[in-house]
Amino acid sequence: MSWRGWAAAATAAAVVAATVTLSVARWAESRYERAFAFRIAATTAAYVAAVTPSPPTRRGSPPLPGYYLPQLLTQARALRTLPGWTSEVEVYHGTAPLVDATAPPLSPDDLERFESEGGRWRDGAALVPLKDREGREVVGAVAVRPRPMPRGPLPGGIGFALPAALLAVGAAAAIAFRQRSLRRGGYAAAALLFGVAAYADVRAAAQRSTDRWLNDTRLLLQEAATRLPAPRSRVAMADLAALIRDAELVPGEPAESAPRRVRIDGKRRAVASVLIGPGRWVELRTVPEEAYTTGWSAVLLACAFLGPFAILALRWAERTPRRQRRETAIAWGFLAPAGLHLAIFSLGPLLFALYLAVHRWTGGRASIDPPAVRPLVGLANFAAALRDPLTWVSLRNTALYSLYVPISVAIALAVAVALSRYRRGWGVRVLRTAFLLPYVASVVAVALVWQRILQAGSLGLGRSDWLSNPNTALLALMLLSLWAHVGGQMVVFLAGLQRIPQAYLDAARIDGASGWQRFWRITFPLLRPVTLFVLVTGIVGAFQVFTYVYVLTRGGPFPQYSTDVLVHRIYQTAWGSQEFGAASALSLLFLLLLLVLTLAQLRLLGRQVEHA
Amino acid sequence: MASVALRRLSKVFDGGTRALHHLSLDVRDGELLVLLGPSGSGKTTVLRCIAGLEEPTSGDVLIGDRLVTHTPPAERDVAMVFQNHALYPHLSVRENIAFPLEMRGVAHAQIARRVVETAERLGLGDVLDCRPAQLSEGQRQRAALARAVVRGPQAFLFDEPLSSLDAKLRSELRAELLALHRSLSATMIYVTHDQTEAMTMGQRIGILHEGRLRQVGTPAEVYERPADVFVARFMGSPGMNVLQGRGRGTEAGRVIEVGSLVVPVELSTYEGELQLGIRPEHVGLCAAGKGVGNADVLIVEPLGSETLVHLNAGGQGLVARLHGFVDVRVGTRVGVKVDRRRLYLFDAAGAPLA
Repeated sequence: MSWRGWAAAATAAAVVAATVTLSVARWAESRYERAFAFRIAATTAAYVAAVTPSPPTRRGSPPLPGYYLPQLLTQARALRTLPGWTSEVEVYHGTAPLVDATAPPLSPDDLERFESEGGRWRDGAALVPLKDREGREVVGAVAVRPRPMPRGPLPGGIGFALPAALLAVGAAAAIAFRQRSLRRGGYAAAALLFGVAAYADVRAAAQRSTDRWLNDTRLLLQEAATRLPAPRSRVAMADLAALIRDAELVPGEPAESAPRRVRIDGKRRAVASVLIGPGRWVELRTVPEEAYTTGWSAVLLACAFLGPFAILALRWAERTPRRQRRETAIAWGFLAPAGLHLAIFSLGPLLFALYLAVHRWTGGRASIDPPAVRPLVGLANFAAALRDPLTWVSLRNTALYSLYVPISVAIALAVAVALSRYRRGWGVRVLRTAFLLPYVASVVAVALVWQRILQAGSLGLGRSDWLSNPNTALLALMLLSLWAHVGGQMVVFLAGLQRIPQAYLDAARIDGASGWQRFWRITFPLLRPVTLFVLVTGIVGAFQVFTYVYVLTRGGPFPQYSTDVLVHRIYQTAWGSQEFGAASALSLLFLLLLLVLTLAQLRLLGRQVEHA
Repeated sequence: MASVALRRLSKVFDGGTRALHHLSLDVRDGELLVLLGPSGSGKTTVLRCIAGLEEPTSGDVLIGDRLVTHTPPAERDVAMVFQNHALYPHLSVRENIAFPLEMRGVAHAQIARRVVETAERLGLGDVLDCRPAQLSEGQRQRAALARAVVRGPQAFLFDEPLSSLDAKLRSELRAELLALHRSLSATMIYVTHDQTEAMTMGQRIGILHEGRLRQVGTPAEVYERPADVFVARFMGSPGMNVLQGRGRGTEAGRVIEVGSLVVPVELSTYEGELQLGIRPEHVGLCAAGKGVGNADVLIVEPLGSETLVHLNAGGQGLVARLHGFVDVRVGTRVGVKVDRRRLYLFDAAGAPLA
């Protein structure tokens, strides 16, 4: 490529990368603005519901539903005049706007849709339902349109963007004139700076979102403190706390009212002090949004590095012959679907499990932390898993259970050898099918059939109920697994037997070997790789048993946990106890165990046979 | 060592394929007999019946004077070398050679001694502890031979043991096998589809075709006095030219008209349809009109020491084998000469006319 070409390419790459990065950053910022709008709209709805009385009634008759309209009108109008309030607010009674009477009304459909979705973004405003005082019926809506905040022309302000721009120009020039020194490093540095700048912008937007909510909520709380209806002369903290979600209200000291960041019990919190009466201060605390923007840094840096990546790809394409370029492109084309699948369904979950294992994540909402918050706990999950006696019980059960595998492998081998003698004839085919059928049948169906067989007094496998007796439950599961798996293993052995050339067995017969000798000296050693395969996959499969346990015993009989196996324990920890972190830790330990097990088996039995 | 005899042996496989048909054969004690035939002629089936790997449908197998038709292979005391050597891949060469002795319960000390002895004899001393996969193709075949020899059996059976080797190795091993046969003076039955192997190795050759034994005799006998048209065509490379003709009496004497040729014969007793056989080396070329007739040259194959000329004599194919390089052009017409003393006459069914 000529220097002109390179300059054009470098510039184009830089422009595309910058545009993509900026777009993503803007999108992230608008998300935070929306998040703020929804949050403050919900608070406003709660505030309106709290401060507006029901329609007046005669003494003694029950209160009417809904709100007293003149009062609602007053409260709504008052919101517009709240000094320092950063948003435009509109309250709808039914579909009619109350604050700005000339604004278009909502459609009935808008109100109906609140039944299925909590809130919705509509014409640049967050629209949330206004419910009656009991919180049952939707009687109207609250819309909040955040006023746009002033924003600089470049991401992260001049401090980052200017050096980035300068570096980019320099690097583009260097690329064009093929100066090695600046070519890649400079361009990458420019991309890095740009990415960091964009991230700083997003983080600032997140911070702003929290601050605006704190500020506006503070004003609402102060207003509520004066308006909340008597009989009490002093407003109760609980009444105020009921207005806010995802935040705490605690008694506080006199302090500056502007939002600030503090560390409480080792966690970062955004706080604002609120004066709710003469000398009465409270502190409004919430989780700062910017604490969870780390993910955006990765996304934005990746976007920013599209530029250097494009340059690298161009340089590679220039150096590589056309044919190879084509082949590489085609190879990536073919790899992409499988790679994407692998990344989404294997690598992604694995990384997520790794992440979960070192965090505490309980399904419920334990504190003001939003549900997505999972504090880092290090190796505590692992320690807890190892300390839990049930872990060891389930490990013992799993190990005992897997003992069925060698037995089933032996039976499968014997059956396969017997059947391979007589390849012809329908009798053999029927037998082969009969053995294979349970293996291909639905696991749950098989389990349910056996449930019937093992029940006391049904099909007569003894008089005792196998599955509810702690001494026989695991044994019953082993028997059932043996029955289900022999067929599959037999088929693999049959295939292995067919691969052994008849000449070896003929030679052995002429050499004077008896049937037993032929089996033990020739067939069995030649089947070694097959046996190894069947054994390893069988034991690894046995360690992963879940369905039979889940369908038949749920780990019981209790309290002995006689059939609680490892995978079932992981399942119970995750979905029973809602401890996803602990469950992830346990499954990683399980993975480690399987790895060790497989390696040990391969090492022990692993001399492969070469068929010469 | 013992003789091997087959008495009216027949074998019909489960699918109805008739592999052998009333086959009788006597292999003398200490003889090397080669069974030769195209693929599918039943050679291997004969061997497997002798070894006991197949049970004949009818007829008998005798080893020595013992009737072994229904005796299991282990008790027949024969050794067999397979086409792909069939060395047990999971055992070392030493273990492979020891295997038949172990199976027969020979004492350990004796096994060790005999294995080393046999291996030395076949030049395998250095590779005794290798696996078959680590050996060269020639070494593998020697190891298979050693496994057969070590036991000192009544008879050896070879099932195309050299067919997977390259030409050079094949001729080397052929010589070794012959040496082995001489030193052991063992009874050997050797199956092959390669007539060079058969001619060079066999004391006698049995020629099989479609499950029937067509001829048994020394190499010279089967080459020079073929029992029928099949043997005549099969032996030799290229095989004998067999032309469809008609015997007729003329003023000049008796002749056979085959295509464009008119060959004078000394036969006086036959007229009508018959087949005339001439080996390619007994066909010569001369100027057109000078010989027994004219033919068109189709293909010329110069091979160095000789040249094969494929001819079309009035619709009948004919090959001439000539010494050295010959200046014949494809598409020209030439005269054909035949050596009248070396003509073979067969009747229409393929049986020789005396």
